[in-house]
Amino acid sequence: MQVPYAMLQVILAPVLVAFLTVFFGKYLGKKLGWVAFGVLAYTSLLMINIGIDLWNGLGPFYEEYRWSTAIFDMKFGFLADGLSLPVALIMNMICAACALYSIHYMEHRIEQLFGKEERGMYTVYFSIYLLFAVGLVGVALSTNLIQMYVFVELALIPSYIMIDLFGYVDRHRIAMMYFIWNHIGAAMFLIGIALAFVGTGSFEITALGNLTNASLGFWVCLFVLIGWLVKMATFGFHVWLPYAHGEHPTSIAAIIATIVGLGNYVIVRLLYGEMLEAFRVFGTPLLILAIITIVYGGFLTLAQDDFKRLYACSTISQTAYSILGIATLTTMGVAGGVFYFLSHILGKCVLFSIAGIVLCQTGIRDMRNLGGLARKMPLTATLCILGSMVLSAFPPLSGFQGEWIMFVGVFQEAGASTGFTVAIVAILATFLTVVYTFWPILKVFFGPLPPSLENVKEAPLSMVLPLFVLMLIAFIMGIYPESVMRLIGPVISSMAP
Amino acid sequence: MSLSFDFAPWLCWAMPTIGSVIHFILPKGLGRARYAAVVLFSFIAWIMALLMIFSMPSHGYEELNGFWFSLPKGASVGIGILLDSLSVILANLVAFLSFLILVYSFKYMEGEPGENRYWFFMSLFIGGMLMLILANNFIFFFIGWKIVGLCSFGLIGHYYNDDRKYWIGGPPPYPFQKPSRCGLKALLVTTFGDVALLGGIIIIYLYSGTFNFVELYENAGVWLTKMAETPGILTITILLLLAGPFAKSAQFPFHEWLPEAMAGPTPVSALIHAATMVKAGVYLVARVLPIFYFAAWILNPGIQEAMVFFVVVATIGGFTAFLAGTQAMVALELKKALAYSTMSVIGYMMLSLGVAGMSPTALVEGYTSGIFHLINHGIFKAALFLCAGVLIHNSHSIYITEMNFSRKEMKFTWAFMWIASLALIGIPPLSGFWSKDGILLSCLESGQYALFVLAALTVAVTSFYTIRFMGIMFHKGHSEEKGHGGHAGEPSVIMLLPYGILAVLTVGIGLIGPWMKEALAELFSEQFHTIHIISTEHTVHASVSPIAEIIPIAASLTMIAIGAFPAYRAYISHKLKTSEILKRNELLRGLHVFLWNRWYIDAFFNRVFVSSVLASREPTAKYIEGGMDMALNVGIPRLFSSINSNIRKLQTGILSVNMLYILGFMIILIIAFMVLGVL
Repeated sequence: MQVPYAMLQVILAPVLVAFLTVFFGKYLGKKLGWVAFGVLAYTSLLMINIGIDLWNGLGPFYEEYRWSTAIFDMKFGFLADGLSLPVALIMNMICAACALYSIHYMEHRIEQLFGKEERGMYTVYFSIYLLFAVGLVGVALSTNLIQMYVFVELALIPSYIMIDLFGYVDRHRIAMMYFIWNHIGAAMFLIGIALAFVGTGSFEITALGNLTNASLGFWVCLFVLIGWLVKMATFGFHVWLPYAHGEHPTSIAAIIATIVGLGNYVIVRLLYGEMLEAFRVFGTPLLILAIITIVYGGFLTLAQDDFKRLYACSTISQTAYSILGIATLTTMGVAGGVFYFLSHILGKCVLFSIAGIVLCQTGIRDMRNLGGLARKMPLTATLCILGSMVLSAFPPLSGFQGEWIMFVGVFQEAGASTGFTVAIVAILATFLTVVYTFWPILKVFFGPLPPSLENVKEAPLSMVLPLFVLMLIAFIMGIYPESVMRLIGPVISSMAP
Repeated sequence: MSLSFDFAPWLCWAMPTIGSVIHFILPKGLGRARYAAVVLFSFIAWIMALLMIFSMPSHGYEELNGFWFSLPKGASVGIGILLDSLSVILANLVAFLSFLILVYSFKYMEGEPGENRYWFFMSLFIGGMLMLILANNFIFFFIGWKIVGLCSFGLIGHYYNDDRKYWIGGPPPYPFQKPSRCGLKALLVTTFGDVALLGGIIIIYLYSGTFNFVELYENAGVWLTKMAETPGILTITILLLLAGPFAKSAQFPFHEWLPEAMAGPTPVSALIHAATMVKAGVYLVARVLPIFYFAAWILNPGIQEAMVFFVVVATIGGFTAFLAGTQAMVALELKKALAYSTMSVIGYMMLSLGVAGMSPTALVEGYTSGIFHLINHGIFKAALFLCAGVLIHNSHSIYITEMNFSRKEMKFTWAFMWIASLALIGIPPLSGFWSKDGILLSCLESGQYALFVLAALTVAVTSFYTIRFMGIMFHKGHSEEKGHGGHAGEPSVIMLLPYGILAVLTVGIGLIGPWMKEALAELFSEQFHTIHIISTEHTVHASVSPIAEIIPIAASLTMIAIGAFPAYRAYISHKLKTSEILKRNELLRGLHVFLWNRWYIDAFFNRVFVSSVLASREPTAKYIEGGMDMALNVGIPRLFSSINSNIRKLQTGILSVNMLYILGFMIILIIAFMVLGVL
């Protein structure tokens, strides 16, 4: 069954609700969370519906709308193919889950910051929350570079406002830092887009393939790549991320881990998919950068004592895994990289939310003062182990399937060019992930319970259940990887000659 | 006309896997009957394993294939079962032992904290192990393999609260270890091996294009030749591949997790040591061994690099057998002594599999003895651990020196434990004797005399430490002060029966030992012919002269006597006073300290890996990250603001200064125009 204007609805419905909340928000208060969840659940269902058609071999589906004819013909379009749809769908489901999670969390946070009576703050939070979700999904579905840029900024500005209003320590400064770094990234991306327009005369993504001028192609790749490497916090560009993710309200931190990873999708879609020839020279440097980032990110994560900042730092290393896969420029590497990205955002969302739950229930962020919480919060502890399993590639959750497929690509590429040494270093580096995900579990959840935490209670179900649903998705992807591979596999195979 | 039991292997691994969650689903009102359901699921798994024997095809192997998922570019990964002698025998062993251990723990775990979690992990553990044994491809295998590792983490760290009474190690002044840390250690060490193993699997896939075991066997000639074209690749692959089994099976240098893996409840140790986990590594080595044998001996021209596999397996195995055995000689904790002995016996199995490929004639003898030893060890080690659970429970102490049991009050436990211990030593006609003899024989057959000597020495060591811990626990005599224990008598029959059955089996297998080994040898030769394309002449039993057959038996018996004699005098008849001997002899005292500290290997690894990582935390956060942070997040804004404030200084607001600026600007303009040639 095909729903008319399905993808337009996916974008417009949350926007519409976001504007409506301004009027009825103050009557609903924290119940707005259910409204936000409702609309995101609706858009998720719309996408699942498209996904079923794709699964059955139909599609890819396009929706195109005229945007502007003023100077040049510009279309506003959406594309749902096997690559964009899983990415958009999983991000949307994460946003839906976090909307539920935010209800209790934001109640706690707003009370802390603005006092109990401040109901208007819920309106602010949930309206920009929806815009943020639209930004993410929009990037994945865009067919047009300008449109994509607009959605990138749409994801950035709400998250900037959220950290400024609801963040933690030194939040105004860190909000500004986050905004500047990400805006520089976006600006680089825009320069790349403009250069591409010079070459092709069009902003369509598919037109990138017509860019025959080799040197122009190089510059386009370079700017797009630098722009997204800043956003993906690769080594050297990463210094904003521990602050931003560490001090964001956790419900948002969980989602901005998604923005960080989204760069992988954009690179695959634009550079690998459309201009592989020009992108090829960046393969090896990107591979080395990814390995440096993985190792450095791992050690940096190990050096953290702050529970939120820990997961923030691990994002640096985890995102670089996907970059590693993509940098091999092999079909297996790219497919594994995208798969890994999907599974990582599921796991990271859960882990950030766990850090939020612990912070919410105990008021403590420093892991040295935590301990023994598994006895008080068994569900949270279970979720933390599950999330760590996703990150450190333990079957039957999804991380494993992504990781080995990706490493087939890595070994293939390394075997063909530099010898297996690079690949072996990379695969041994994954060992660090297990260390930095399971060691904190020991510190936070195991061992004796400090007397000060005797009265800690398990988090409410509205926080825990959505996270279990996310882990269920990771489980399904893990035991039946076909659910994703059948969609992304053919698209990625068709990208490379 | 034979019945089709194709469903059996699927149910065999699926049943415990499903069983792991069944007690969460059943209503709480059922009480502990929910856990009986878990035991039932494991019982079904055992029945299914038995059925698999009947579905064994006459031509050696059978594959049951299913589609699982596709990879880009048309390749796909299947989910499938490989039934051959190796997998069916091991599945039966694992399912049977696990079932008995679960029966035992039904009583043992009564009233322990976290029972739900315990049954979940136990059952999943068994499911994972059966999965890896029955899998027909590396990916499916690897999933079971990782699940086993994860469950061990959950089970070893079962008492995650780290209450004082669950600490292991010590006694003071020696440090204690906490269960949660032990669990993490097991997880990290084995995961390191897993990561390397995955690398090895992927390299093999790149050359062979398949993960399927049968296809790997059948096309071995093609892909091995391709791999051997670049020297070094095969060696790297072998080393990566072996890191996995060595870590899982606690072989040097990845062995340090196992002595601490006993922090969990005792049935967990029984499961880890006898049925699951450490046997997985031996299984994998046995599974891939024919490939490398083929490369080294049958392929023409042979690939010399493939010998690395056998040399590494045999030496590491032989060395670990000796290393761990010596450590067991001084252990004070009962479970730790047993853990060392597991490492030592696994070392024997590795040795046996290793020498199997070191000469073209030793294949069947080595392979059979290794697997035979695995079967025997599984049975008697399970019995030992289950007995140990009762003893520790009764005496409320983990140290053998604090145990003082009267053999009259616990005569069954005493007898069963002695039977298992004598099998561990290798006393004829108990089961351990035959397989150990086979291992010694295959060392001789393959001409590895150095390894033979090492293995024979280990026999003496084994006999010493086994009699030592049994003597200290049961035969204290009246001369020593009364320790704890002895007051509780025999355990309930639910606990007694499992290890009773195992002890009887130990005797039973011992009685039919030579014939059973012959039968196994036949099964494996057939398997080699059919799947592994190893031609008949390689599996013909080398005709060893009767004298050569006697050497290992004689050596084994002599070494047992050499080890047993001092142990008997010191710990059973109490003629020797060990503490006085130690006091007098400085060399022995030094040796004791060396062994007690596990050859300082643990300390070395802690220093190199753990401490260095901990030491790196502060510099990483402070200097590297802090430096970059300062440069980018503080430095750049400061640069802008300083430029800003310096420019601001130029604007003084004094007319004459401004006139000077204008003059200067005009001059520059004129110069510029002149240079550019406009004027």
